[in-house]
Amino acid sequence: MKAFVAEGDQIIGEFTPLETELLGDLATQVVELLDEGSELPEDRLLAAVGIGGSAGPSSDPAIARLLPNAYLDDDHASQEFRYLTENSLVSRKVANARLFRESLRAGGAVRLGPDAVQAWLRTLADIRLIIATRLGIEHDGDEGHAETDDDIMMQDVYSWLGMVQGSLVDALDA
Amino acid sequence: MADTLEDTRLDEQLLLDTPWVTVVWNDPVNLMNYVSYVFRSYFGFSRERSEELMLQVHNDGRAVVATGGREEMERHVEAMHDFGLWATVQKDGA
Repeated sequence: MKAFVAEGDQIIGEFTPLETELLGDLATQVVELLDEGSELPEDRLLAAVGIGGSAGPSSDPAIARLLPNAYLDDDHASQEFRYLTENSLVSRKVANARLFRESLRAGGAVRLGPDAVQAWLRTLADIRLIIATRLGIEHDGDEGHAETDDDIMMQDVYSWLGMVQGSLVDALDA
Repeated sequence: MADTLEDTRLDEQLLLDTPWVTVVWNDPVNLMNYVSYVFRSYFGFSRERSEELMLQVHNDGRAVVATGGREEMERHVEAMHDFGLWATVQKDGA
């Protein structure tokens, strides 16, 4: 990976074929997790305008972290909020992950317009939140459990994704 | 004693007028420069103010990033969840 650079309103980046494949796979996992994990509302009319949501925070901690309660101590208000916002939030997250995936090029060079940049920022955040939940990262400085080779590989991917997102924000800040 | 009714009404009015706030909570995942970018790009805060709020989240575990009506705060919270930040709505001072 080369650090992102701004060129007008575009952000240019470059990844190796292996990195490109990894990013694409991770985005696909976000799509699959959210598409399967969220319950479709029964009312199709409401669904068409994005209204509807599940009955409470997901039992999958990763989904629960992506779609948290909006109130700390008010389950009823949290539930109402979920009903009004969850499905459209899920749709946006899925659309972001798809746009992210589509902007990856086999050659490794990516050229991101403003919409793609926003999709990248959010999808990278979502992917890192999912991995962090799977690794059990709960506190600042916590690297999560590293019992298996898979864990250790996931930790590497997690910190690399942090570098990718950090570089993207730096390019936007420059 | 005659003021009781009036007082009650005042109290209710106060309660109704109590603004709501959007609270952003610290998490171990989101990068400091990303959180600061979100505050700047979404709320339109200056670079300095965004940094200040980001550090408050990081050091104190939370920061109030907006105050106002309940619906508006819910919109902000939804936007924060969209960015992957952990945010909640609550009554000011609660």
